[in-house]
Amino acid sequence: MADEAYVLDGAREGDSAAEPVAGELLRRLGDAGWRAEAVRLREVEIAPCIGCFGCWTKTPGRCFRDDGAAEVARRAIRSGLLVYVTSVTFGGYASPLKKALDRMICLVSPFFQVVDGEVHHRPRYPRYPRLLGVGVAEGEDGERDRVFETLVHRNAINLHAQRWAAGVVRSDAPEDRRRVRLDELVRRVGGPP
Amino acid sequence: MRRALLLLGSPKAGASTSGSLGTYLLLRLGEHGLEGGQRRVGEVLRAPGGLDELAEAVERADLLVLSFPLYVDSLPAPMIRCLEALAARRPGSSSEGAPRFVAIVNSGFPEASQCDTALEICRRFAFEAGFPWAGGLALGGGAAVDGRPLERAGGMVRNVRAALDLAAEALARGEPVPEEAVRLMARPLAPRWFYLFMGNLRWKRAARKHGTLRRLHDRPYL
Repeated sequence: MADEAYVLDGAREGDSAAEPVAGELLRRLGDAGWRAEAVRLREVEIAPCIGCFGCWTKTPGRCFRDDGAAEVARRAIRSGLLVYVTSVTFGGYASPLKKALDRMICLVSPFFQVVDGEVHHRPRYPRYPRLLGVGVAEGEDGERDRVFETLVHRNAINLHAQRWAAGVVRSDAPEDRRRVRLDELVRRVGGPP
Repeated sequence: MRRALLLLGSPKAGASTSGSLGTYLLLRLGEHGLEGGQRRVGEVLRAPGGLDELAEAVERADLLVLSFPLYVDSLPAPMIRCLEALAARRPGSSSEGAPRFVAIVNSGFPEASQCDTALEICRRFAFEAGFPWAGGLALGGGAAVDGRPLERAGGMVRNVRAALDLAAEALARGEPVPEEAVRLMARPLAPRWFYLFMGNLRWKRAARKHGTLRRLHDRPYL
């Protein structure tokens, strides 16, 4: 649904930094007019992608494994806004979020096309959600934040997101500062159509 | 004797391009006096106590080599899981005495530059977990290697072999991966038009084999 924001809550078990941010983000998205819903990935059974490319050639558009990743992929492509929430891990995503993303390559076509001089996979679907990446990390670290934002940008290109935003929320910042930061990120990605 | 430990990140059970690149480097390092060992990420995560055993093997090593395929602009999730575990076992560690760390990433896209973010993540891991960063190598069009040993993959991979030869020499001397090795590894294996033609043909052939040629553009989640 075009007005649905689907939040992939990639917090690890006992991740006291990312968990409250996911909750607060749901409220911020709701205030911006999105029908926001989150899935706690750590509670979903998702096997790692084994790189067989069966989702491209054997059972086109879906993985042969019938576990929680199928529902995550289905909800993701039907949403208007896909949101990643994760503790920033070496500048990238923590493993629970990455496990779900690795299983979402079924959402694009195996065939190639050139986009801005680079090769990428062609879209499979006529429409793709916008993408918002929210990283949670402690302290100031410009380089870490830059790597995270670049990663979300690269994902947006590969997932054919027409609009994207990304940023890191400081877990050690006061609550009102975190809220302002989340509002800013939600504003950047825009409200529902 | 100095030790090099190869951590293979390909989730494929059999031969993989990550394996071709990693084992070739390990062989060359062997010629320069480094004893080689390797672990597969999938096996590490499945084995009871596998992460502890990996952490011990890493501590014994002088050089840690990661070789993995690019997954969604980053490392495959199981490899991230291993790095999370290694970093958690070294909180606030100094890099003194820690093995040096080098990463090799291969991508199905022809441009090696699409691996840049994954290498940045590896470098960040090294920084945060206290492993001295010895550099990274990125290969585009890795599907063309298709898990074959590089010695038997012909002239197409001559630059890849040369890059790994140079990297092995430098790493064995305690130096970082040289710029020349990075440049050689990043050279396209084939002209882009040819790689795309063969790549697209590959999907059609596989679909024909599975009887799905007419369903390749299915949209099951609409």
